[in-house]
Amino acid sequence: MDLALQLLFTGIGIGAVYALVALGFVLIFRATNVVNFAQGEFSMVAAYLMVVAVEAGLPYWAAFIVALLGMALLGVIFNLGVYYPLRHRTYLPVIIATIGASILLANSVLAIYGPQPQVLEGWFETPGIQVGPVYLDSQYLLIIGVTICLVIFNFWFFEKTLLGKKLQATSQDKEMASLLGISVSTMIMITFIYSAVLGGLAGILVAPVLFVSIQMGSTIALKAFAATIIGGFGDVAGAIIGGLSLGVIETFGAAYISVPYKDGFAFLVLIAFLIFRPQGIFGERVAEKA
Amino acid sequence: MPLLEIRNLVVRYGEIEALRGVTCAVEQGQVVTLLGANGAGKSTTLRAISGLAKPTSGDILFDGKSIAGLGPEAIVRMGISHVPEGRRVFPGLTVKENIMLGASNRRAPTSEISREADAMFDLFPDIRKFTNALGWTLSGGQLQMVAVARGLMAKPRLLLLDEPSLGLAPVIVQAVFKIISEIRRNTTVLLVEQNARMGLSVADYGYVLETGRIVLGGKPDALWGNEAIRAAYLGGHAKVSA
Repeated sequence: MDLALQLLFTGIGIGAVYALVALGFVLIFRATNVVNFAQGEFSMVAAYLMVVAVEAGLPYWAAFIVALLGMALLGVIFNLGVYYPLRHRTYLPVIIATIGASILLANSVLAIYGPQPQVLEGWFETPGIQVGPVYLDSQYLLIIGVTICLVIFNFWFFEKTLLGKKLQATSQDKEMASLLGISVSTMIMITFIYSAVLGGLAGILVAPVLFVSIQMGSTIALKAFAATIIGGFGDVAGAIIGGLSLGVIETFGAAYISVPYKDGFAFLVLIAFLIFRPQGIFGERVAEKA
Repeated sequence: MPLLEIRNLVVRYGEIEALRGVTCAVEQGQVVTLLGANGAGKSTTLRAISGLAKPTSGDILFDGKSIAGLGPEAIVRMGISHVPEGRRVFPGLTVKENIMLGASNRRAPTSEISREADAMFDLFPDIRKFTNALGWTLSGGQLQMVAVARGLMAKPRLLLLDEPSLGLAPVIVQAVFKIISEIRRNTTVLLVEQNARMGLSVADYGYVLETGRIVLGGKPDALWGNEAIRAAYLGGHAKVSA
């Protein structure tokens, strides 16, 4: 039982990272009808930016802000360079462009920083605290805390602000949105910036837990992608629930069944969902909307 | 000077020439109805005015200024609001939110927009009880009310209405046209209709479109008495039965 509680904590921690990246996937998908295959690379680039900023001698919090600002800028460049020129084409050229961008980002970082994985310290000096039978790792606590704040922010932003409503309107019917005077290109720009920052945040938060490596982006992205399918593609709540459950499932699977197959559990669940419930946990709502 | 003037407008979709030189005008304060069968180019004319379709040649003058080729966001900011065919109410937003977004073309504090949206329910009392219902839960008539209310939130000088009666039960059509006759007190309206009788009943002037050209224009009485409009009107039916 104690072990289960411990695993639940760790699982939710790692699941929160998947949830943040999955949220980025969903927001871009809803705004542009395209899956951004470079979403994981956003996490990787942000982790490297963080490493660079910390090595340059910036205090941790300043490095954090610099890295996130860098991600916002990357979101702008990504939108202008990858999505915008192809926006009137079908989804296929755009998807291929995002795959291309993902390869470009990974190899640029490789060329600049070399293949050796880097280590990033955690935010806190204290490694963690013991609460009863469970040891709460400080970095996991930070990840969970930030994710909770972001989920609340996300809800407030999309449900309570007019700008959030304009973003939703744009994702539901771009032509109608433009007829009302909503600047569709601005809305899509905001979506890319927000998604890049979300992905970046996930990368920075998870970096002290994992190594900072070129491959970390694709690993996180695959899990996050699985999370969006489990949750129901295009659903914000689904992405978060999907990410959290995936983190918990793979942590329990690794502990009780097999460590080497840790990554396998995520995809086993993904395949099971694709066969038995392809619309995902929250998929019904999308069908009702159509 | 007319509020809206269209000169020799040509619009092509690839190979197809949807409009082949349309010339017409809408005077300030009037309701003008565009009649015609399916595929005559009525919707394309409205789409060209609101910026959704790019004119191949010809000109569109609003208040004396050319707006041909401008984007929809710029045109709605100038005061032309387009309520397109099919209502296009955002399915995942509530009725109130849909209506509030109609004011996206102008700068106003959210609280003011919210008040104006509430006031809109005085003109559309039938949808007041659906204020917080999501768009997809509404019926066709209710969606049409929301779409028109949303279009009016732009405070347009010219309102473009595309087939407001399409697919609605006769009693609902009556309600929609009653609203149009109230709107006209403050707003100039360009109305596209397949239902010629209803379309002309509220109009000051009418045009008949046939395969991308204006073939006839005149006062409703004159048009109603004309053989050509009956032909155009019946032509639509003949195609259906063929």
